[in-house]
Order: sequence, then C-alpha cells, then structure tokens
Amino acid sequence: MPLRLVKYAWKKSEDEPRFFPDEKPLKKAYDVVIIGGGGHGMACAYYLAKEHGITNVAVLEQGYIGGGNTGRNTTIVRSNYLTSEGVKFYDESLKLFEDLSDDFDLNIFYSTRGHFTLAHTDSAMRTMRWRAEVNKHHGIDSEVVDVDTIKKEVPYMDMSCNGQHPVMGALYHAPGSVARHDAVAWGYARGAQMRGVEIHQKTRVTDIKTKGGKVVGVETDRGFIEAKKVVSMVAGSTPRITEMLDIETPIEIFPLQACVTEPVKPFMDTIVVSGSLHVYVSQSSRGELVMGASVDPAELHSTRSTLDFVEGLTDQMMDLFPFTSRLKIMRQWAGMSDITPDFAPIMGKTDVEGFYLDAGWGTWGFKATPVSGKTMAYTVANDMPHELIKPFSLDRYSKFELVGEKGAASVGH
Amino acid sequence: MKLRLSPQPLEWIDRKNPLTFTFEGKEVTGFAGDVASSALWSEGSKVLGRSFKYHRRRGLLSFANHDVNALFQAPDMPNVRGDVTPVQEGQMFTAVNTFGSLASDKGSLVELIGKFLPVGFYYRAFYSPKFLFPKWERLIREMAGLGKVDTSWTESRQPKRYRHCDVAIIGAGPSGMAAAIAAAEQGVDVCLIDENPYIGGSLDYQYVNEEALSETRSSLKSTIESMANIQVIASAYVAGYYGDHWLAVNTDQGLIKLSAQSVVVATGVFEQPAVFRNNDLPGVMNASAAQRLMSRYAVAPCKEAVILTANPEGYRAALDMHKNGLVVKAILDTGSTDSEWVEQARQSGIPVFEHATIVEASGRKALQAVTFSVDGVAKQLACDGLLMSVGWAPAGAPLYQAGTKFAYSHTLEQLLPVSLPEGVYACGRINGVFDILDQFKDGEQAGLAAALYMQGKETPELNDYAAQMAHSHPYPIWQHPKGKEFVDFDEDIQFKDLKGAIAQGFDNIELMKRFSTIGMGPSQGKHSNMNGIRILAKLTGKTIDQTGSTTARPMFHPTPVSHLAGMRFRPERLTPMHAFHQSVNACFMEAGNWLRPEYYPSEASREASIAAEVAAVRGSVGLIDVSTLGKLEVFGKDAVELMDRLYTMRMSNMAIGASRYALMVDDSGVVIDDGVAVRYSDEHFYVTTTTSSSDSAYRMIQKKVIEWGLQVTVLNRTGQIGAMNLAGPNSRKILSQLTDLDLSNEGFPYLVMRRAKVAGVDATLIRVGFVGELGYEIHVDSMDALQVWDELMRVGEAFSIKPFGVEAQRMLRLEKGHIIVGQDTDGLTNPFEANMPWSVHFKKPYFLGKPSLMKLKNEQQRILVGFELLSADRNAMPLESNLLIEDGEMIGRVTSIGRSAALGKVIGLAMISIDYSKPDGELHIKLSDGRLVKAKVVKTPFYDPDGLLQKPDEEVHNKEQGAAA
Amino acid sequence: MKFVTCPSLGRRALSEFNYGGRLEREPDQETVSEKEWADYVFYHNGAPKTQIEWWYHRPTGIWFLFERNTLTDRITKVDFANKGISNEA
Repeated sequence: MPLRLVKYAWKKSEDEPRFFPDEKPLKKAYDVVIIGGGGHGMACAYYLAKEHGITNVAVLEQGYIGGGNTGRNTTIVRSNYLTSEGVKFYDESLKLFEDLSDDFDLNIFYSTRGHFTLAHTDSAMRTMRWRAEVNKHHGIDSEVVDVDTIKKEVPYMDMSCNGQHPVMGALYHAPGSVARHDAVAWGYARGAQMRGVEIHQKTRVTDIKTKGGKVVGVETDRGFIEAKKVVSMVAGSTPRITEMLDIETPIEIFPLQACVTEPVKPFMDTIVVSGSLHVYVSQSSRGELVMGASVDPAELHSTRSTLDFVEGLTDQMMDLFPFTSRLKIMRQWAGMSDITPDFAPIMGKTDVEGFYLDAGWGTWGFKATPVSGKTMAYTVANDMPHELIKPFSLDRYSKFELVGEKGAASVGH
Repeated sequence: MKLRLSPQPLEWIDRKNPLTFTFEGKEVTGFAGDVASSALWSEGSKVLGRSFKYHRRRGLLSFANHDVNALFQAPDMPNVRGDVTPVQEGQMFTAVNTFGSLASDKGSLVELIGKFLPVGFYYRAFYSPKFLFPKWERLIREMAGLGKVDTSWTESRQPKRYRHCDVAIIGAGPSGMAAAIAAAEQGVDVCLIDENPYIGGSLDYQYVNEEALSETRSSLKSTIESMANIQVIASAYVAGYYGDHWLAVNTDQGLIKLSAQSVVVATGVFEQPAVFRNNDLPGVMNASAAQRLMSRYAVAPCKEAVILTANPEGYRAALDMHKNGLVVKAILDTGSTDSEWVEQARQSGIPVFEHATIVEASGRKALQAVTFSVDGVAKQLACDGLLMSVGWAPAGAPLYQAGTKFAYSHTLEQLLPVSLPEGVYACGRINGVFDILDQFKDGEQAGLAAALYMQGKETPELNDYAAQMAHSHPYPIWQHPKGKEFVDFDEDIQFKDLKGAIAQGFDNIELMKRFSTIGMGPSQGKHSNMNGIRILAKLTGKTIDQTGSTTARPMFHPTPVSHLAGMRFRPERLTPMHAFHQSVNACFMEAGNWLRPEYYPSEASREASIAAEVAAVRGSVGLIDVSTLGKLEVFGKDAVELMDRLYTMRMSNMAIGASRYALMVDDSGVVIDDGVAVRYSDEHFYVTTTTSSSDSAYRMIQKKVIEWGLQVTVLNRTGQIGAMNLAGPNSRKILSQLTDLDLSNEGFPYLVMRRAKVAGVDATLIRVGFVGELGYEIHVDSMDALQVWDELMRVGEAFSIKPFGVEAQRMLRLEKGHIIVGQDTDGLTNPFEANMPWSVHFKKPYFLGKPSLMKLKNEQQRILVGFELLSADRNAMPLESNLLIEDGEMIGRVTSIGRSAALGKVIGLAMISIDYSKPDGELHIKLSDGRLVKAKVVKTPFYDPDGLLQKPDEEVHNKEQGAAA
Repeated sequence: MKFVTCPSLGRRALSEFNYGGRLEREPDQETVSEKEWADYVFYHNGAPKTQIEWWYHRPTGIWFLFERNTLTDRITKVDFANKGISNEA
C-alpha cells in the first residue's frame, strides 16, 4: 500500500485541495490569451508560468478541460518518426512525458508497452527500415524486427493475416507508451493554475481583434479581453480561429474515429499498428481494447460516428486477432483531426504580430503535448520560434519546403 | 425450485422443456425460454456476480440488458449477459472477474482497504518512485477487466443483411405497437424492432394483471401479426442511428443494415435505482425488474418484499407481488401518491408508509432487512426483497445520435426530447407519456406522422400526452453516515466518490465522468448517469439543464465484433497467366490486390533462382508477366491535348506508332506515376500506369478531362488486356517465329509501337528497354494472353527461355538505373530530384504541376544518384533504406541496391544531398548494425551505358530516348 | 453511413463514392505568380462552409459534384460534373 493512499484515507475529501480552483471572473486584460484548454493549451500555459515567469495568462476553453482531441485520442506516445525534424521533436516530448507524473504530483499512468508497426509488403518493410535507421541515427530505440521476434512478443497474432498480406516484419519501438490522456491535461491545468494562470471553461472566442496588423485582444461570449499575445491551440477548430484573422493555412479537418471493446482481463501488453490494415490497438489498464483506424475519407467538422468505420475496423482487426470476434464493441467516438499536406504540424509565429499558431496535429497531437507546450511557451515568451519548431513554420509551404514525414505513408499512431 | 411461480398469463418459458446448465460448476435447472439469471434466481441463487472494484456480491438490478454485475464467462465467450442470454442445455458459465470463486472471492479483500482507495486514487499514487510503477501497474492490470479472452478462439463471422423500409419503429411496447399499426394502415412498409423475443414491452410486464387491457393487447398483437406490411424484427436492438435514418440493427443472427425513410423511437425508459446504503445487496432490485421476472419467467423476486416507491408504478408492482401470493411487508412511499393507489394497496392488506425515507438495506450475503424512517422514527423490516420504483431515464440513444435535444421537465422530473430532427418521431414513455391509453394515442400519432412524412405528405400537429405529474423522484439519493450508497454498479462508484470528484473541481459533467469513471462501464451509465447528473446538479446548486448530460454514442448495447465485421470480402486479382505461374510453382508476392510472381524457384535458393532469371535475360531471353500494369486508352478530338496536360513530357509531337516515357506529377510537383504512352493514331493513345495507381490514376484523369472540358474518352482497360515483356538478345528470334511483322531495326525500331498478330492473336507490340535488352512488350486481349505466353514459352524453349519475376526485373532495371516510383521516390520527390530533368518539358504551355516544377527546378536540394560499393565484404551488404552519413550527419538514403552479376559489383541508387552527388565522390553507407561501408557515386546506367544492347545494330539515340523505359 | 440521391442513379450509399476534394479554379499557369500558385496548391480557408465537391461513384465511374456543408454534412445539391466545370467555378 503506497503511503500516499494511507495519507489520503485519513482526510475527508472535502479537505482535499481543489484540483481546479473555483473559476474567477474574467479580467479585462491578460498578457497572453491561449485559445483552447486541451493538453497543448494547458501545457503552454504551464511552461509559460513555470519557465518564463509569465503568469498573467488566461486559457479560454469553449467546452471543458481536455474535452477535445485530448480526451478522444488513443493515448499512444512514440518518437519513431521518419524525419530528423520529427524525431528530435517527438523524442523531446517523450522525455518530458516520462517525468510528468513527478512534475505534476499526479499519476498520468505513463506506461511503456512497446510499439509494433507491422509491415505487410516489401515497400512497407523499406519504409520501416528507413524509419528505424533515422531513429537509430538520432539515438532512438527503434529497430526492424522479423516475424519470429513479433511472434515472441505477440504470440496470439495471426501472422498470416488470414492468408492475404501476411506480416513480413515490423518496426519495433520499445519506448512506445500509452498514458492516461485526461490526466495529462489535468496535470498541466493544475500546475498552471497553481502558478497563477486562469482557466476559463465554457468561454468561446468569437473574434480576434487587431490594430495595425497587431493583435489587441479577443472577443468572447463573455465579453472582450485585451491581450497583446494570443495563441491558438485548438486542433480541429483551427480553421475557425484562423478565419477570424483571414489567415489561410493548408489545414483540412477530417474526423478520426476510435472505439473500445467491453473490458476483458488484460492479455495484450504491446501496442500494435498496421498501416496496411488501417488498425491500431492497445489494451487499457481498464481492460478495454482501444482501437482506431485512419481518418475519414472526406472533410468534415464533426465528431459524429459512422457505421462504415466500425465495420471496417472490426473486419480488418480480425485478420490479426481472429479471437477478437468474440468480443463486443462497447463505444465508438470521434475527434476532429487537423491535417496538413506533409503530415507535420504548423507551429510558431504568423504574419499577424502577436498571433501564434499551434496546429496541424493530424493524428499525432497527443504525443506532442509536452513538447508543443514547452516550445510554444518559449516562442511566445521570446517572440521567436524555438529551435525545435523552426521547420514547422506556416510559410514553409509557400517556399515548397515541406517536411518529409509523408514519406512514411501509413497510419501515424 | 424455490422461487418459480405458478404459470403466468404471458410467460415466456416452456415448462414442458426443462434443461440443465452449470454455473460455477453447479448444475442449474431451468426451462427453455429462461435466461441465465432467471433460471438461477428461480433456484434461489441470488448472488450472480461480483462487483468490479470491491468484489461485492451482486444480484439482479435492472434485468433489462444492462445487468453487468451478472456477467458470465462461457468457454467460448467472455462477458455473457445473464439477464438476456437464453439458457441452453449443457451450457457452462462461471462468474467473471473473481479471484477464487463467486462464493469465495479473494478480490473482496479490496473492500477492506476501500477507505484507502478514494475516487481517482490511482492518480494519487504509484508513480513515485518511478521505477516501482511497472510493478503497481501489473497489479492494477491483474485486477482490471471482466471476462477472460482465450486467444486460441477461432474467427467467427456473421453475414450481414440489408433491409430497406419506409418506417422503422424502435421498440414494440404499447406506443411502438400502436405506431406500427398506424403507420402500416397508411400502406407503407414498416419494420418493428424490439430487443425482446416477443413484442409487448411494458404492456406485458407492467399491465399483465390489468384485465381491462387484455383485449387491447390481443387485438394489437393479432393486428400486427396479420398486417403483411409490418415486419417484426424481434430479439434485435438498434446498436446505432447513423444519420439519414440508417440503423444498425443487431440480431442473434447478425447485423441488419436497415435504411428507413422515417424513424419512430419508442424505446421507453430505463428504470433508475435509488441510491442508499447497501443498495447493491442481492435482493434489492428495480420494481420493473421484479415485474419482468414474474411475468416473463414466472420467478418470484423474493418471498417477502418491501417496496420503495415515488410513483404509481411501485404500487402496481406491489399489487403484482400480492397477486402472486408473495408477501409485501410495506410500501415505502417517498411522498404521497394518489390516494387511489394507497387505497388499493391497503385493501390488499399492504401497509403503506407515506413520506418515508430509506435508511439502509442490510444482510450478510443477500438482503435480510430494510431500515427506513417515517417522521424521524426509524423502523426495520425483515425481508428478502426490496423493489425500487423511484424514477425513469430516457432510453434515448437513437434520439441523441439523430441529433435530438433534450430538456428537463420539472413536471415529470424527467428529461424529454424537445426538438426532433426531420423524419424522427418519439412516442410513449420517452415522451413522458405514462398513462397506458395515452401511450397508444401517442404511438398512433407518431406512426401516422412518420408514414405521412416519408410519403412527402403534410403531417398533423402532434398532441402532447405527457403526464401531468412526476413519475420520477427528483433526487432519489439518501446518504448514510457510513456510506456505501452505490450510484454506478458497473464501476462501483459510490455517492462519496462523486462528491469527492466534485469537491476537487471535476464539477463539469464530462470531467466528473472522466475522473470518477461513472457511466464508463459496460452498461454505459444506463442505470447511473441520471443519478450522477442529479448529484452533480444538487452539489453545485445548478439545474439539470445547466448541468447537461453526456452523449449517448453507439453502441446502444455492446455489439459483437463478429457481427459488425460480417464476412470477409477482400478482392484478389489474378493475371491471365496465373495458371501458368501456378503450374511452375511460382513464388507469388502481393502487389496491391494483385498476385504477381516474385520469382520462379528454379534453383536451390531464392537468390540463386533470381540470379538465374537475370542471367537468362542478359544471356538469352526471358519472359515476364506485366499484366498488372494499369492500361488506359485515350481517344477523341482532344486526346493529344489531354496527354500533353497530364504528363510532364511533350506528347503532342509523338509520331503515330511511337512510344514515350510518361511521367506524372501532382499539383505540388511530386512524382505520382509513370508508364509508357504509345500513339495509335492522331487522336488515339494507349498509356500504362504503375500497378498500384491504375484505379487512382484513371479516376484522376477522368476528373481532369471534365475540369479541362476536353472532348476525349478515357477507358480503363487494365483487366481486359494482358501484357508480357519478352526480353533478351534472343527475343527477336523467338518473336519472329510467331509473327509476320517485320522485326528488323528498320521495320520495327527501338521505342516504336506496332500492331500485328502474334501467335494468331491481335497484339500491340512496343519495343521497350526497361530491363536494358532487346525487348518487346506484348499487349493482347486477356482472353488470349495465356495462349500467347504459352507459345512464346514453347518457341523459347530452344533458347532456354526463362520466365522471370518481379525480383529479377528489379535487378535488371537497377542495372539500367531506371527508377521505380514509390521505391526510389517518396511522398515529396520531384522529377529533378529523381534525376530526370529531361522528362520535364517546360516549353509546353500547360501541364499538371508545371508552376510547382518551375519553382522546384531552382531549389533542388537532393538528387537520386547511382553508386557502387567499394567494399567487397560480403558480410557488409547495405539494405535499402540504409542511411548515407557524412560528418555524422544524414545526407541521404539507399533507395535500391543489388549485387549485379553482369557487372560483378554491388550497385544501387541513393537519394542524397546534392552537395555530395558529384561523380566518383565517396559516400559512406551506415549499415543497420552501425558499421560504415564505402561507396562511390557513379553515373547511370550502370550496365550498357550507351544502350547498345536494347537496340543492337542501331545508332546511339539521344539521351532523352535512351533514358525512356 | 449516409445516402445521396444522384441524377440517373437514384439513392445511393455514400460509401460507394470517393471524395475528390473541393471544386477549385486553377489559376492560369501562364500568368500565375509564385505566391498565387502556392496559395492555390496549399493555402485555403478550411473553416466550415457549404462548398462544391467532387465525388466519384466507383461502380459506374461517374464524377458528380455535391454541394455539401462541411459542418452539418448535409448534401443540398447533386449534379453531374459537366465538362469545363472548373472554368465556371
């Protein structure tokens, strides 16, 4: 029995310090307004306060803390990307993740399970090796493994895939992890609030005001707020925010769906992804299989669920795990993915002075939570892009300097 | 059978058909028609399962397909629901998630330390020190989950069915039945869906003893049976409403995908438990559960009951008990109900306590007594059953999924739908209609409106039949100083847990749900969300509407993967020559949906076989099946214009009968496809695409034809045409025996197309050089392709012809430095990077991606180069995708590599930084194990750089043509 | 799953179609500036709106244009994609 729990047992829950303080009235002005109270927004607020001493900050959230993609993703954390830019960025994120529980004094259930990305064709094998080589070059624990190795780790997987597109090998990324997604947002939120940041839920930004090309504040459904610096960290809502400033971006919104089975006793310890079959799956510490696929086929700003998704996913999943046919799907849901043409994010300054953008997270936003918060905080505090995010500027497309993540054309979870 | 009652008027069991199954190793006897829980209960087994967290004993609660504490393990299935699964002879069940057995579950020790496990305890502990977390995590995972998976279970798939109907009615209770008849009377096609094996719903379990309704009941049922345009889909539930009245209906026989024109939701309401101390003791159940148990299965819920009620339904349940000769010790009315009901109860000798509050239930392994208080005076009654009738929550999943808004009615103390989407109707208790006669009327008007709507007719104004009094207690929660008031039975969430969550600031409904996990278990909150909302509203001083509710996402009930997946339909394409490949035991590889010979095992090893195929082509002749290439025909007035616009090279200046390399980029200048184009006539081209992009290229080209407004027709002939490439110095000799065509250099020069008969079959022949030898690509009708192939093989025998596969072709083309799109290019490669500047003709006024290429031409940073390995170490062979390193930095990667027998060295292509691309420049390739091997940049083609072999006896052509494939 | 009613095909399941992106007018390649071209290829206003989109019906090989709202997913108009359509867009 951990001592912590013994200690808690003697307290009444009423004595427990509030995790989130009572909401304060909106002030007239803040140094920085962050739009979006998801993981990224909270992390940015946290690092602004903790590392840059900027605490006169308001995070405005139209719904509730972590209610967007933070609470809708399948919680996978990894750094085995294809490009140097991607690898360095996500590796930093992974390192931050590892210490979050201690930083927060809150268990985020960061659980290292190992991550297999299966290859079913020789071209997929080449891509896996490419990723492995780039990863290893940057000191990331990542390697191409053969079928026997996979069998040892995931003995219950049908390597023949029902006779079509059998598994030929995999990219194995030992540090691949899962974490309790909500807790990441909560931990950052609490940490930010303890340092003076204000979080305002159910507060929707309706416009961003500028004067002479500079940001002067935001209009909300609770009134106008002055701010010289505004950061948009709203993932699937990004185009609605950038539209307020007439900023055009390459971002398109596509729903990304996921589902879980009824809980069963944990048997699956690793994370398994198959790009060819459009399946990724892990088992949560509640015993549910958490599963997802690729994004929906057409642009849509909605989190509705479709039957096509769950039909396709279950069908393909059975190629790998025939026994799952006896399980039941309990719940499906969706998030809105902000997809860019080169599968890399858009981060940093914009043409509008004082307006910073953190977007284009596609299907990889959760794993970037700590590092995007940290680098965006730096960027906002210094009005200068952090070294790690320089390749991710909004204007790279006009220069045709795309990030090469697209080379790994597989589901990126 | 301790609790089996005498025959009930509408019972579902077949008393002539007893059967036996085992539970926890013990034999249980029931009847056909019983569900597992009813059979167990009939024998007096009241402990049906253990709770998830504290492993408390649990019995029946709702008996409505969400009793997740009565979840069983079958040998071939986890998480079998006891309250809905019909028993079968010889079945074997155990309880899920017990440590030991159901009777003696070591997991119940958790309850002893329960006070150390406050809500969200796992967020508070286990993480420090970090290295111990995996240990704790293992323990947590040990405790997690319900049923067990046996990974050796085989795949099971249920075919899906499709059904179209005019009006779908979900729920065949009183209002649903009335709706079905009203709709059907309009002459439309009606599907009436109910999750029970029989229609009737609450009419049959709540009003089973109501004499006055028996005629209505039989008339409704016989009308439904007699109407040909009503199809009853029983034992089926709507797993999800997916927009446009598209319903996923799950049945025991698989999924029905039901497309309706309008939908009536008559799903009714879920009875909600009261929250008080030990409300989870076996024997405490919802009153409607008791009614279902009696009327359907003729099983008594208990022998001596106490009823806790806040509505007339509780009195009805008490009278049903009484009618069955069971003792009702008291009715505890939380308020004061209509005196008529009180009167009736008292007449039956049932004491009624008005304004009663429940204090606690008690008992060791099951309920033994109930303590309540009236006017501040506590009383205790011994009993073995407590029936709770304190309120209802909408079974609103299909309505929520259709986009219906709900609002809280203080009159009814219930959430009611307030704005329905077009073509969606609600009726019955979900609408707040509690009077049975009104339910019929409400159903009738909804059914009629749904039928009129789908016919495009005007629909009448709908009357509001909602009850004028509350049928739900506004706050059926009674705290006890010692706690153990359960709100969520799936997740073992107690009142104090919610209170704690709220106190800590998780005071938004979604945050409370996520922090406490209320409503996240297998019942998805059907019995707990409403009480959770009530508690949150109360503790934060907000209204229910301000508090809001969580969304009801699909699935309505957990739905089998085998049903959702259905049968496995995955296309597989075979080339016309497949029979040959099989006859010589070709080793196949998958290319998209196609199966292609990777190589033909002629030697002891794969490598040796491939080498032999390469040697055959270089030394004499080989034949490869290239039928998987996409093949498009382009003809019409603007065919030339289209070709010029689609491809980077100029096509308009192709002579009739010429062929040309065709490279395609997208708007951003990235290489997406390549092939060979030939010109049949002024306005007629034939062009190939890569195997993988045949469908997408065809689709895209069709779109461009429309966009550009061109008068041209594009046909996808991929499957209609078979193709093979006869290559090698002796290819001409073979072909000449099968065709009258003049094959001389003058008659059929390099890169030219001819149409002629080959082996008696009309063929298109192209002299190509992809593999770098004299060669002919032969395209014929698929029906004839095998015949031509066989003839070539037969004639080729004299030249030791060998069929060759994809691997040999890869090596052969590598020796020529020809790229494979997708292997030597990636998602961002442009033609300049692919080292094919000659393929881009900027002088054309327009082609796809031209402005992008004009920009990219001047900003080139990397380039595809040829290299040869300097090291002769056979144990240091780089692999494709190995990196090139200079000064510790990545400068590129190997895209293709192979050991060339013809050249006696290892050669390859690499995409590298342009700074390192000078010929003879030294490169360093990092092997997967980290060793560096030396290579140097060399010009391509590696083999026969002047292309003399592919056009023997000819002059050297210009570079453009030489590089074309 | 959604359904769409198409000219000559009647009511079809949307899953029979491939999404082909929104209808956009390509700038004149002869006169376009680098910036205008980059805007066309990459940048746009992705906010929810009603737009005309390309949808390809796989079983028949017909391209249609749908007027669809990217917030509500409602399809309000369906037409054959007629030749030269981008010039009119």
